[in-house]
Amino acid sequence: MVEINRSKYYSFHQATADRAFHIDFGHKTIRLPLCQLLSLRHKLKTIAIEDHFDGDLNKHGFEILLLCNKEHLFILNTLEILDLTELVESSLVKLGLAQPAQVALV
Amino acid sequence: MKDIARQSMSIKVESMDMLNAQIKMEAHASASYLAMASWCEQNGFFTSAKFFFKQAEEEREHMMKIFNFLVDTGGSPMSPEITNINHDYASIVDVFESTLDHEVKVTKSIHNIVKKARELGDIATERFLDWFVMEQVEEENTIRDILDMISVTGTEGVGLQMIDNQVANWME
Ligand SMILES: [Fe+2]
Ligand SMILES: [Fe+2]
Repeated sequence: MVEINRSKYYSFHQATADRAFHIDFGHKTIRLPLCQLLSLRHKLKTIAIEDHFDGDLNKHGFEILLLCNKEHLFILNTLEILDLTELVESSLVKLGLAQPAQVALV
Repeated sequence: MKDIARQSMSIKVESMDMLNAQIKMEAHASASYLAMASWCEQNGFFTSAKFFFKQAEEEREHMMKIFNFLVDTGGSPMSPEITNINHDYASIVDVFESTLDHEVKVTKSIHNIVKKARELGDIATERFLDWFVMEQVEEENTIRDILDMISVTGTEGVGLQMIDNQVANWME
């Protein structure tokens, strides 16, 4: 396992043995082939993070993420969602699949 | 270390996002043309209805072309959610004018993706869109010709019926 990227709470790795990436969530590490990584990115992109700052729309400021075809379930707070988004986006840049963002994400 | 990322996907993530947005736009066009076909049927413009049924099918084919390109390049194509389909038109002229507006929007969107793909150095996406660029030239031209025919024919008396009959000329 080679570490490619690290954010405040999480780290992103590439496996040496199989064709997949791994995200270490601290208490658990999940395996993501690129399609699952793109799917995670899409889920993060569609989160209405601004609702977290509106007591009526998202009272508790949590998001439920169901990943890898419902294999893993995560409940993340606002800061964790922002951190994970930053990790995924900057990892894609490091992998050469995306351009560095014009504006900072957080 | 193996480049798993590049081995898994041959276009840029930004291109994938733009192509997914284009999938949505083509699906929206398809649904809009179906609504226009419905309007034409209900208002006695039966040839125009056929024209729009066919357009609706073509737009879906455009959508699938992009969808399959994303499959081929290892991207993640998303099945689009379509809302806000207008079913109200003031006249048959309004229908064709809305069609031209929509096609111009699609053309601009495709040109925009070509430019961005070029900036990203994403040659595969840029080349893939060549077909769409030329297709848009043709589609815009078809609708412009129909609008020209409408203004020459005029909408007085039997004009409307003549307009509908002549739409057949633009259906191969
Ligand atoms: Fe189209
Ligand atoms: Fe079109």
